[in-house]
Amino acid sequence: MAAEEEYLEAEENLEAIITRIEHKSRKIETLLKQSKPVDALKTALEGSALKTRDERCKSANWIVVHRAMMAIKDVDGMISSLDPEYYDILMKYLYRGLATGDRPTCDQCLRIHEKLTEKAGLGCILRSLSDTVNTV
Amino acid sequence: MAAVAVHQFAECITCHAWSPDQSMVAFCPNNSEVHIYKLFGEKWEKMHVLSKHDQIVCGIDWSLKSNKLVTVSHDRNSYVWSQEGTEWVPTLVILRLNRAALCVQWSPKENKFAVGSGAKSICICYYEQENNWWVSKLIRKRHESSVTSVAWHPDNILLATTSTDGKCRVFSTYIKGVDSKEPESSSSDLKFGEQIAQLDLSVTWAFGVRWSPSGSILAYAGHNSMIHFIDDVKSNPSAQSIPLRDLPLRDLLFLSDRVVVGVGFDCNPMIFTADDTGLWSFTKYLDQRKAAPSSSRGSQLSEAFGKLYGTSKQVPSNDTVEPSKPRGGAHENCITCIVPLWKRGNTTLCRFSTSGLDGKVVIWELDIPK
Repeated sequence: MAAEEEYLEAEENLEAIITRIEHKSRKIETLLKQSKPVDALKTALEGSALKTRDERCKSANWIVVHRAMMAIKDVDGMISSLDPEYYDILMKYLYRGLATGDRPTCDQCLRIHEKLTEKAGLGCILRSLSDTVNTV
Repeated sequence: MAAVAVHQFAECITCHAWSPDQSMVAFCPNNSEVHIYKLFGEKWEKMHVLSKHDQIVCGIDWSLKSNKLVTVSHDRNSYVWSQEGTEWVPTLVILRLNRAALCVQWSPKENKFAVGSGAKSICICYYEQENNWWVSKLIRKRHESSVTSVAWHPDNILLATTSTDGKCRVFSTYIKGVDSKEPESSSSDLKFGEQIAQLDLSVTWAFGVRWSPSGSILAYAGHNSMIHFIDDVKSNPSAQSIPLRDLPLRDLLFLSDRVVVGVGFDCNPMIFTADDTGLWSFTKYLDQRKAAPSSSRGSQLSEAFGKLYGTSKQVPSNDTVEPSKPRGGAHENCITCIVPLWKRGNTTLCRFSTSGLDGKVVIWELDIPK
Protein backbone atom coordinates (compact mmCIF):
# COMPACT_ATOMS: atom_id res chain seq x y z
CA MET A 1 0.00 0.00 0.00
CA ALA A 2 2.80 2.38 0.78
CA ALA A 3 4.32 1.75 -2.63
CA GLU A 4 1.38 3.46 -4.31
CA GLU A 5 1.98 6.77 -2.62
CA GLU A 6 5.09 7.98 -4.40
CA TYR A 7 6.23 11.55 -4.31
CA LEU A 8 5.22 12.33 -7.89
CA GLU A 9 1.79 10.78 -8.07
CA ALA A 10 -0.22 10.34 -11.22
CA GLU A 11 -3.70 11.84 -11.22
CA GLU A 12 -5.42 8.49 -10.83
CA ASN A 13 -3.48 7.67 -7.65
CA LEU A 14 -4.76 10.80 -5.93
CA GLU A 15 -8.28 9.99 -7.06
CA ALA A 16 -7.85 6.47 -5.72
CA ILE A 17 -6.84 7.84 -2.33
CA ILE A 18 -9.78 10.26 -2.24
CA THR A 19 -12.16 7.46 -3.18
CA ARG A 20 -10.75 5.30 -0.42
CA ILE A 21 -11.22 8.09 2.08
CA GLU A 22 -14.82 8.58 0.98
CA HIS A 23 -15.40 4.88 1.37
CA LYS A 24 -13.89 5.03 4.86
CA SER A 25 -16.13 7.97 5.70
CA ARG A 26 -19.27 6.03 4.90
CA LYS A 27 -18.06 3.07 6.98
CA ILE A 28 -17.32 5.39 9.89
CA GLU A 29 -20.80 6.95 9.77
CA THR A 30 -22.27 3.46 9.97
CA LEU A 31 -20.07 2.53 12.92
CA LEU A 32 -20.92 5.75 14.75
CA LYS A 33 -24.64 5.08 14.29
CA GLN A 34 -24.02 1.69 15.86
CA SER A 35 -22.36 3.45 18.82
CA LYS A 36 -18.93 2.00 18.07
CA PRO A 37 -16.75 5.10 18.23
CA VAL A 38 -13.55 3.12 18.95
CA ASP A 39 -13.91 1.00 15.80
CA ALA A 40 -14.74 4.17 13.89
CA LEU A 41 -11.46 5.78 14.97
CA LYS A 42 -9.51 2.64 14.09
CA THR A 43 -11.05 2.63 10.62
CA ALA A 44 -10.24 6.29 10.23
CA LEU A 45 -6.57 5.79 11.17
CA GLU A 46 -6.12 2.67 9.04
CA GLY A 47 -4.63 3.18 5.63
CA SER A 48 -3.90 6.85 6.15
CA ALA A 49 -1.93 8.06 3.17
CA LEU A 50 1.02 9.47 5.06
CA LYS A 51 3.55 9.72 2.24
CA THR A 52 1.36 11.76 -0.09
CA ARG A 53 2.12 15.45 -0.42
CA ASP A 54 -1.32 16.37 -1.72
CA GLU A 55 -3.15 18.69 0.66
CA ARG A 56 -6.62 17.59 -0.48
CA CYS A 57 -5.95 13.99 0.51
CA LYS A 58 -4.56 15.02 3.84
CA SER A 59 -7.49 17.33 4.59
CA ALA A 60 -9.98 14.71 3.52
CA ASN A 61 -8.41 12.13 5.82
CA TRP A 62 -8.21 14.67 8.64
CA ILE A 63 -11.93 15.39 8.37
CA VAL A 64 -12.68 11.71 8.63
CA VAL A 65 -10.37 11.21 11.62
CA HIS A 66 -11.73 14.32 13.29
CA ARG A 67 -15.30 13.09 12.97
CA ALA A 68 -14.42 9.78 14.63
CA MET A 69 -12.25 11.42 17.29
CA MET A 70 -14.93 13.85 18.45
CA ALA A 71 -17.35 10.97 18.96
CA ILE A 72 -15.12 9.22 21.49
CA LYS A 73 -16.47 9.41 25.05
CA ASP A 74 -14.41 6.73 26.79
CA VAL A 75 -10.83 7.78 26.10
CA ASP A 76 -9.20 5.20 28.41
CA GLY A 77 -11.07 2.36 26.79
CA MET A 78 -10.21 3.58 23.34
CA ILE A 79 -6.50 3.84 24.07
CA SER A 80 -6.30 0.40 25.65
CA SER A 81 -7.99 -1.25 22.69
CA LEU A 82 -5.92 0.59 20.06
CA ASP A 83 -3.08 -1.28 18.32
CA PRO A 84 0.36 0.11 19.26
CA GLU A 85 1.17 0.64 15.58
CA TYR A 86 -1.45 3.42 15.48
CA TYR A 87 -0.05 5.38 18.44
CA ASP A 88 2.30 7.49 16.32
CA ILE A 89 -0.33 8.24 13.68
CA LEU A 90 -2.93 9.19 16.28
CA MET A 91 -0.43 11.49 17.97
CA LYS A 92 0.19 13.26 14.65
CA TYR A 93 -3.53 13.81 14.19
CA LEU A 94 -3.80 15.10 17.76
CA TYR A 95 -1.26 17.77 16.98
CA ARG A 96 -3.08 18.65 13.81
CA GLY A 97 -6.22 19.00 15.91
CA LEU A 98 -4.46 21.17 18.45
CA ALA A 99 -3.24 23.37 15.62
CA THR A 100 -6.80 24.19 14.55
CA GLY A 101 -7.42 26.30 17.65
CA ASP A 102 -11.07 25.29 17.65
CA ARG A 103 -12.21 24.99 21.30
CA PRO A 104 -14.12 21.68 21.31
CA THR A 105 -11.53 20.02 19.04
CA CYS A 106 -8.66 21.16 21.25
CA ASP A 107 -10.42 20.01 24.41
CA GLN A 108 -10.96 16.56 22.98
CA CYS A 109 -7.43 16.40 21.60
CA LEU A 110 -5.95 17.31 24.96
CA ARG A 111 -8.04 14.68 26.71
CA ILE A 112 -6.78 12.02 24.32
CA HIS A 113 -3.21 13.42 24.36
CA GLU A 114 -2.95 12.96 28.13
CA LYS A 115 -3.99 9.32 28.00
CA LEU A 116 -2.01 8.51 24.88
CA THR A 117 1.19 9.99 26.34
CA GLU A 118 0.71 7.90 29.48
CA LYS A 119 0.32 4.80 27.36
CA ALA A 120 2.82 5.43 24.58
CA GLY A 121 5.40 7.61 26.28
CA LEU A 122 7.36 10.66 25.23
CA GLY A 123 8.94 8.79 22.33
CA CYS A 124 5.58 8.83 20.58
CA ILE A 125 5.44 12.63 20.78
CA LEU A 126 9.02 12.89 19.50
CA ARG A 127 8.31 10.69 16.52
CA SER A 128 5.19 12.60 15.58
CA LEU A 129 6.95 15.96 15.80
CA SER A 130 10.18 15.00 14.07
CA ASP A 131 8.76 13.06 11.17
CA THR A 132 8.76 15.33 8.14
CA VAL A 133 8.31 12.55 5.60
CA ASN A 134 5.11 10.90 6.84
CA THR A 135 2.88 13.85 7.66
CA VAL A 136 -0.83 14.12 8.30
CA MET B 1 23.77 -5.24 38.90
CA ALA B 2 23.86 -1.56 38.20
CA ALA B 3 25.93 1.51 39.00
CA VAL B 4 29.11 0.41 40.72
CA ALA B 5 30.69 3.81 41.20
CA VAL B 6 29.66 7.42 40.65
CA HIS B 7 32.26 10.17 40.38
CA GLN B 8 31.46 13.86 40.08
CA PHE B 9 34.36 15.40 38.21
CA ALA B 10 33.05 18.66 36.84
CA GLU B 11 29.89 20.60 36.09
CA CYS B 12 29.61 19.11 32.66
CA ILE B 13 31.61 16.50 30.78
CA THR B 14 31.77 16.43 26.99
CA CYS B 15 33.46 13.07 26.53
CA HIS B 16 35.79 10.70 28.37
CA ALA B 17 38.21 7.81 27.88
CA TRP B 18 40.01 5.32 30.12
CA SER B 19 43.68 4.38 30.21
CA PRO B 20 44.58 0.80 29.21
CA ASP B 21 44.90 -0.33 32.83
CA GLN B 22 41.76 1.64 33.78
CA SER B 23 43.56 3.49 36.54
CA MET B 24 43.29 6.86 34.83
CA VAL B 25 40.43 8.65 33.16
CA ALA B 26 40.74 11.48 30.67
CA PHE B 27 37.79 13.79 30.04
CA CYS B 28 36.93 17.23 28.81
CA PRO B 29 35.08 19.37 31.37
CA ASN B 30 33.25 21.30 28.64
CA ASN B 31 36.19 23.60 27.91
CA SER B 32 39.31 23.49 25.79
CA GLU B 33 41.28 21.31 28.19
CA VAL B 34 41.58 17.61 28.80
CA HIS B 35 41.91 16.58 32.43
CA ILE B 36 43.48 13.29 33.42
CA TYR B 37 42.64 11.96 36.86
CA LYS B 38 44.15 8.96 38.59
CA LEU B 39 42.53 6.89 41.31
CA PHE B 40 44.59 6.56 44.47
CA GLY B 41 42.69 4.19 46.73
CA GLU B 42 39.41 6.01 47.19
CA LYS B 43 40.37 9.45 45.98
CA TRP B 44 40.74 10.85 42.51
CA GLU B 45 43.71 13.15 41.95
CA LYS B 46 44.15 15.44 38.97
CA MET B 47 47.38 14.29 37.36
CA HIS B 48 47.60 16.20 34.10
CA VAL B 49 45.88 19.02 32.28
CA LEU B 50 46.37 18.89 28.52
CA SER B 51 45.66 22.33 27.13
CA LYS B 52 46.64 22.66 23.51
CA HIS B 53 43.23 23.13 21.98
CA ASP B 54 41.52 26.49 21.61
CA GLN B 55 37.93 25.31 21.74
CA ILE B 56 35.87 22.53 23.25
CA VAL B 57 37.43 19.11 23.00
CA CYS B 58 34.60 17.00 21.71
CA GLY B 59 36.28 13.65 21.18
CA ILE B 60 38.87 11.70 23.17
CA ASP B 61 40.06 8.16 22.55
CA TRP B 62 42.77 6.28 24.41
CA SER B 63 44.39 3.44 22.52
CA LEU B 64 44.67 0.31 24.61
CA LYS B 65 47.82 -1.22 23.18
CA SER B 66 49.94 1.76 22.24
CA ASN B 67 48.78 4.02 25.12
CA LYS B 68 48.24 7.05 22.92
CA LEU B 69 45.55 9.65 23.44
CA VAL B 70 43.92 11.30 20.47
CA THR B 71 41.86 14.43 21.00
CA VAL B 72 39.80 16.40 18.52
CA SER B 73 38.23 19.76 19.04
CA HIS B 74 35.90 22.33 17.58
CA ASP B 75 39.03 24.29 16.66
CA ARG B 76 39.40 21.92 13.66
CA ASN B 77 42.61 20.42 15.05
CA SER B 78 43.60 17.07 16.42
CA TYR B 79 46.47 16.11 18.69
CA VAL B 80 47.97 12.70 19.33
CA TRP B 81 49.44 12.63 22.85
CA SER B 82 52.06 10.14 23.93
CA GLN B 83 53.24 9.74 27.46
CA GLU B 84 56.95 10.33 27.94
CA GLY B 85 57.86 9.89 31.55
CA THR B 86 55.43 12.01 33.53
CA GLU B 87 54.58 14.37 30.69
CA TRP B 88 52.15 14.08 27.82
CA VAL B 89 53.71 15.24 24.58
CA PRO B 90 51.33 16.43 21.87
CA THR B 91 51.77 15.93 18.14
CA LEU B 92 49.62 18.12 15.96
CA VAL B 93 47.74 16.31 13.22
CA ILE B 94 46.71 18.64 10.44
CA LEU B 95 43.26 17.48 9.51
CA ARG B 96 42.68 20.06 6.75
CA LEU B 97 39.17 20.76 7.94
CA ASN B 98 37.31 24.02 7.60
CA ARG B 99 34.70 23.12 10.21
CA ALA B 100 34.76 21.62 13.69
CA ALA B 101 35.80 18.04 14.33
CA LEU B 102 33.03 16.20 16.16
CA CYS B 103 34.13 12.68 17.03
CA VAL B 104 37.18 10.43 16.93
CA GLN B 105 37.99 6.74 17.27
CA TRP B 106 41.17 4.67 17.08
CA SER B 107 40.97 1.76 14.67
CA PRO B 108 41.14 -1.76 16.17
CA LYS B 109 44.81 -2.15 15.17
CA GLU B 110 45.50 1.40 16.37
CA ASN B 111 47.46 2.31 13.28
CA LYS B 112 44.74 4.69 12.06
CA PHE B 113 42.10 6.90 13.58
CA ALA B 114 38.95 8.37 12.07
CA VAL B 115 37.57 11.85 12.73
CA GLY B 116 34.04 12.93 11.87
CA SER B 117 33.50 16.62 11.26
CA GLY B 118 31.01 19.36 10.62
CA ALA B 119 32.61 19.84 7.21
CA LYS B 120 30.56 16.90 5.91
CA SER B 121 33.73 14.85 5.68
CA ILE B 122 35.71 12.20 7.52
CA CYS B 123 39.47 12.28 8.08
CA ILE B 124 41.35 9.01 8.20
CA CYS B 125 44.73 9.62 9.80
CA TYR B 126 47.67 7.26 9.74
CA TYR B 127 51.28 7.49 10.83
CA GLU B 128 53.93 7.91 8.18
CA GLN B 129 57.18 6.50 9.53
CA GLU B 130 59.52 8.20 7.05
CA ASN B 131 58.37 11.72 7.82
CA ASN B 132 57.52 11.02 11.45
CA TRP B 133 54.10 12.58 11.31
CA TRP B 134 50.42 11.75 11.04
CA VAL B 135 48.88 12.17 7.58
CA SER B 136 45.22 12.83 7.10
CA LYS B 137 43.24 11.56 4.13
CA LEU B 138 39.78 13.01 3.66
CA ILE B 139 36.63 11.33 2.48
CA ARG B 140 34.77 14.36 1.19
CA LYS B 141 31.98 12.90 -0.89
CA ARG B 142 28.59 11.47 0.09
CA HIS B 143 27.82 13.16 3.38
CA GLU B 144 25.22 15.87 3.13
CA SER B 145 25.67 17.17 6.63
CA SER B 146 27.79 16.91 9.79
CA VAL B 147 29.16 13.52 10.75
CA THR B 148 28.12 12.85 14.33
CA SER B 149 29.83 9.56 15.07
CA VAL B 150 32.24 7.04 13.54
CA ALA B 151 32.80 3.36 14.26
CA TRP B 152 35.48 0.97 13.04
CA HIS B 153 34.63 -2.55 11.92
CA PRO B 154 36.84 -5.22 13.57
CA ASP B 155 38.60 -5.76 10.22
CA ASN B 156 40.27 -2.33 10.55
CA ILE B 157 39.13 -1.27 7.06
CA LEU B 158 35.40 -0.63 7.07
CA LEU B 159 34.18 2.49 8.81
CA ALA B 160 30.55 3.26 9.64
CA THR B 161 29.41 6.85 10.07
CA THR B 162 26.21 8.55 11.14
CA SER B 163 25.28 12.03 10.13
CA THR B 164 22.78 14.76 10.81
CA ASP B 165 21.36 14.07 7.36
CA GLY B 166 19.81 11.00 8.99
CA LYS B 167 21.81 8.43 7.08
CA CYS B 168 24.29 5.82 8.19
CA ARG B 169 27.04 5.03 5.72
CA VAL B 170 29.80 2.43 5.54
CA PHE B 171 33.07 3.30 3.80
CA SER B 172 36.24 1.49 2.99
CA THR B 173 39.36 3.11 4.41
CA TYR B 174 41.92 0.84 2.81
CA ILE B 175 45.27 2.59 2.62
CA LYS B 176 48.07 1.03 0.61
CA GLY B 177 51.10 0.52 2.78
CA VAL B 178 49.15 0.68 6.01
CA ASP B 179 46.51 -2.03 5.56
CA SER B 180 47.28 -5.54 4.44
CA LYS B 181 45.21 -7.07 1.68
CA GLU B 182 42.87 -9.78 2.91
CA PRO B 183 42.37 -12.68 0.47
CA GLU B 184 38.54 -12.66 0.73
CA SER B 185 38.03 -8.94 0.29
CA SER B 186 36.43 -7.75 -2.93
CA SER B 187 37.94 -5.07 -5.14
CA SER B 188 35.59 -2.37 -3.93
CA ASP B 189 36.84 -2.96 -0.41
CA LEU B 190 40.30 -1.97 -1.54
CA LYS B 191 39.46 1.49 -2.76
CA PHE B 192 39.90 4.24 -0.22
CA GLY B 193 36.75 6.28 0.32
CA GLU B 194 34.50 3.86 -1.53
CA GLN B 195 30.98 3.83 -0.08
CA ILE B 196 29.98 0.26 0.67
CA ALA B 197 26.46 0.93 1.92
CA GLN B 198 24.08 3.72 2.76
CA LEU B 199 21.25 3.16 5.22
CA ASP B 200 18.29 5.46 5.03
CA LEU B 201 16.23 4.30 7.99
CA SER B 202 16.07 7.47 10.04
CA VAL B 203 14.35 10.66 8.96
CA THR B 204 16.02 12.52 11.79
CA TRP B 205 19.60 13.02 12.95
CA ALA B 206 21.48 9.81 13.58
CA PHE B 207 23.92 9.22 16.45
CA GLY B 208 26.01 6.57 18.09
CA VAL B 209 26.80 4.03 15.37
CA ARG B 210 28.50 0.83 16.58
CA TRP B 211 29.48 -2.53 15.13
CA SER B 212 28.89 -5.73 17.09
CA PRO B 213 32.08 -7.51 18.28
CA SER B 214 31.91 -9.97 15.39
CA GLY B 215 31.26 -7.18 12.92
CA SER B 216 28.08 -8.73 11.58
CA ILE B 217 25.54 -6.33 13.09
CA LEU B 218 25.44 -2.55 12.88
CA ALA B 219 23.35 -0.43 15.23
CA TYR B 220 22.64 3.27 15.46
CA ALA B 221 20.15 5.59 17.15
CA GLY B 222 17.85 8.08 15.51
CA HIS B 223 16.87 11.33 17.15
CA ASN B 224 13.20 10.43 16.76
CA SER B 225 13.50 7.97 19.65
CA MET B 226 14.28 4.99 17.53
CA ILE B 227 17.10 2.50 17.43
CA HIS B 228 18.03 0.65 14.25
CA PHE B 229 19.78 -2.72 13.96
CA ILE B 230 21.11 -3.86 10.61
CA ASP B 231 22.32 -7.36 9.96
CA ASP B 232 24.85 -8.24 7.28
CA VAL B 233 25.40 -4.76 5.88
CA LYS B 234 27.76 -5.70 3.06
CA SER B 235 25.84 -8.32 1.15
CA ASN B 236 22.22 -8.60 2.20
CA PRO B 237 21.19 -5.93 4.70
CA SER B 238 18.11 -6.59 6.80
CA ALA B 239 17.05 -3.92 9.25
CA GLN B 240 15.00 -3.75 12.43
CA SER B 241 13.82 -0.43 13.76
CA ILE B 242 12.58 -0.31 17.31
CA PRO B 243 10.59 2.72 18.48
CA LEU B 244 11.52 3.73 22.01
CA ARG B 245 9.03 4.64 24.67
CA ASP B 246 10.91 7.64 25.92
CA LEU B 247 13.54 10.12 24.94
CA PRO B 248 16.17 9.55 22.22
CA LEU B 249 19.54 7.88 22.63
CA ARG B 250 22.89 9.54 22.02
CA ASP B 251 25.38 6.69 22.16
CA LEU B 252 25.43 2.90 22.02
CA LEU B 253 27.68 0.05 23.10
CA PHE B 254 27.62 -3.61 22.12
CA LEU B 255 28.30 -5.80 25.14
CA SER B 256 28.10 -8.90 22.97
CA ASP B 257 26.56 -9.83 19.65
CA ARG B 258 23.22 -10.10 21.40
CA VAL B 259 23.22 -7.28 23.97
CA VAL B 260 23.36 -3.54 23.36
CA VAL B 261 23.35 -0.70 25.89
CA GLY B 262 21.93 2.63 24.79
CA VAL B 263 22.36 5.91 26.64
CA GLY B 264 20.77 9.27 26.06
CA PHE B 265 18.33 11.87 27.25
CA ASP B 266 16.55 9.56 29.66
CA CYS B 267 19.67 9.69 31.88
CA ASN B 268 19.31 5.96 32.30
CA PRO B 269 21.10 3.25 30.28
CA MET B 270 18.72 1.00 28.32
CA ILE B 271 19.47 -2.65 27.55
CA PHE B 272 18.40 -4.19 24.26
CA THR B 273 18.74 -7.91 23.64
CA ALA B 274 18.35 -10.13 20.62
CA ASP B 275 16.66 -13.48 20.96
CA ASP B 276 17.77 -16.68 19.20
CA THR B 277 16.12 -15.66 15.93
CA GLY B 278 17.98 -12.36 15.93
CA LEU B 279 14.94 -10.27 16.82
CA TRP B 280 15.93 -7.24 18.90
CA SER B 281 13.79 -5.75 21.64
CA PHE B 282 14.05 -3.42 24.60
CA THR B 283 14.69 -5.35 27.81
CA LYS B 284 14.98 -2.92 30.68
CA TYR B 285 16.44 0.23 32.15
CA LEU B 286 19.63 -0.36 34.10
CA ASP B 287 19.24 2.16 36.88
CA GLN B 288 16.86 1.52 39.73
CA ARG B 289 14.90 4.67 40.25
CA LYS B 290 13.29 5.53 43.57
CA ALA B 291 9.94 6.42 41.98
CA ALA B 292 7.73 3.43 41.09
CA PRO B 293 7.23 2.91 37.34
CA SER B 294 3.90 3.33 35.57
CA SER B 295 1.48 4.79 38.09
CA SER B 296 3.56 7.66 39.36
CA ARG B 297 4.93 8.18 35.86
CA GLY B 298 1.44 8.99 34.74
CA SER B 299 1.06 11.54 37.49
CA GLN B 300 4.50 12.95 36.73
CA LEU B 301 3.44 13.57 33.16
CA SER B 302 0.12 15.00 34.25
CA GLU B 303 2.03 17.33 36.51
CA ALA B 304 4.16 18.45 33.63
CA PHE B 305 1.30 18.77 31.19
CA GLY B 306 -1.04 19.83 33.97
CA LYS B 307 -1.17 23.45 33.00
CA LEU B 308 -1.84 22.40 29.43
CA TYR B 309 -4.66 20.00 30.29
CA GLY B 310 -6.20 21.87 33.18
CA THR B 311 -6.83 25.24 31.59
CA SER B 312 -7.31 26.32 28.06
CA LYS B 313 -6.28 29.87 28.78
CA GLN B 314 -2.94 31.10 27.57
CA VAL B 315 -0.30 30.25 30.15
CA PRO B 316 2.38 32.95 30.21
CA SER B 317 5.06 31.05 32.15
CA ASN B 318 7.08 28.46 30.38
CA ASP B 319 7.51 25.75 32.99
CA THR B 320 5.32 23.03 31.55
CA VAL B 321 8.26 20.70 31.00
CA GLU B 322 10.12 18.79 33.70
CA PRO B 323 13.76 19.30 32.82
CA SER B 324 15.81 19.33 36.02
CA LYS B 325 13.69 17.35 38.44
CA PRO B 326 16.03 15.07 40.36
CA ARG B 327 14.96 11.61 39.29
CA GLY B 328 16.91 9.73 41.92
CA GLY B 329 19.19 7.93 39.53
CA ALA B 330 22.94 7.90 38.98
CA HIS B 331 22.90 10.48 36.20
CA GLU B 332 20.93 13.70 36.50
CA ASN B 333 21.31 14.94 32.99
CA CYS B 334 21.72 13.60 29.50
CA ILE B 335 24.32 10.85 29.10
CA THR B 336 26.41 11.61 26.03
CA CYS B 337 29.21 9.09 26.07
CA ILE B 338 29.58 5.39 26.84
CA VAL B 339 32.97 3.65 26.95
CA PRO B 340 33.72 -0.08 27.41
CA LEU B 341 35.86 -1.29 30.31
CA TRP B 342 37.35 -4.62 29.33
CA LYS B 343 38.45 -6.95 32.12
CA ARG B 344 41.71 -8.68 31.31
CA GLY B 345 41.14 -12.20 30.10
CA ASN B 346 37.39 -11.77 29.60
CA THR B 347 35.92 -12.23 26.18
CA THR B 348 32.52 -10.81 27.09
CA LEU B 349 32.14 -7.23 28.16
CA CYS B 350 30.22 -6.59 31.33
CA ARG B 351 31.65 -3.30 32.58
CA PHE B 352 31.32 0.10 31.02
CA SER B 353 31.32 3.74 32.03
CA THR B 354 29.07 6.61 31.06
CA SER B 355 29.58 10.35 31.24
CA GLY B 356 27.09 13.11 30.78
CA LEU B 357 26.14 16.73 30.93
CA ASP B 358 25.83 16.51 34.72
CA GLY B 359 29.61 16.15 34.98
CA LYS B 360 29.51 12.63 36.36
CA VAL B 361 31.33 9.52 35.27
CA VAL B 362 29.42 6.41 36.35
CA ILE B 363 30.78 2.88 36.16
CA TRP B 364 28.24 0.12 35.54
CA GLU B 365 28.59 -3.59 35.84
CA LEU B 366 26.13 -6.29 34.97
CA ASP B 367 25.91 -10.04 34.44
CA ILE B 368 25.40 -11.04 30.87
CA PRO B 369 23.61 -14.33 30.35
CA LYS B 370 25.63 -16.46 27.93
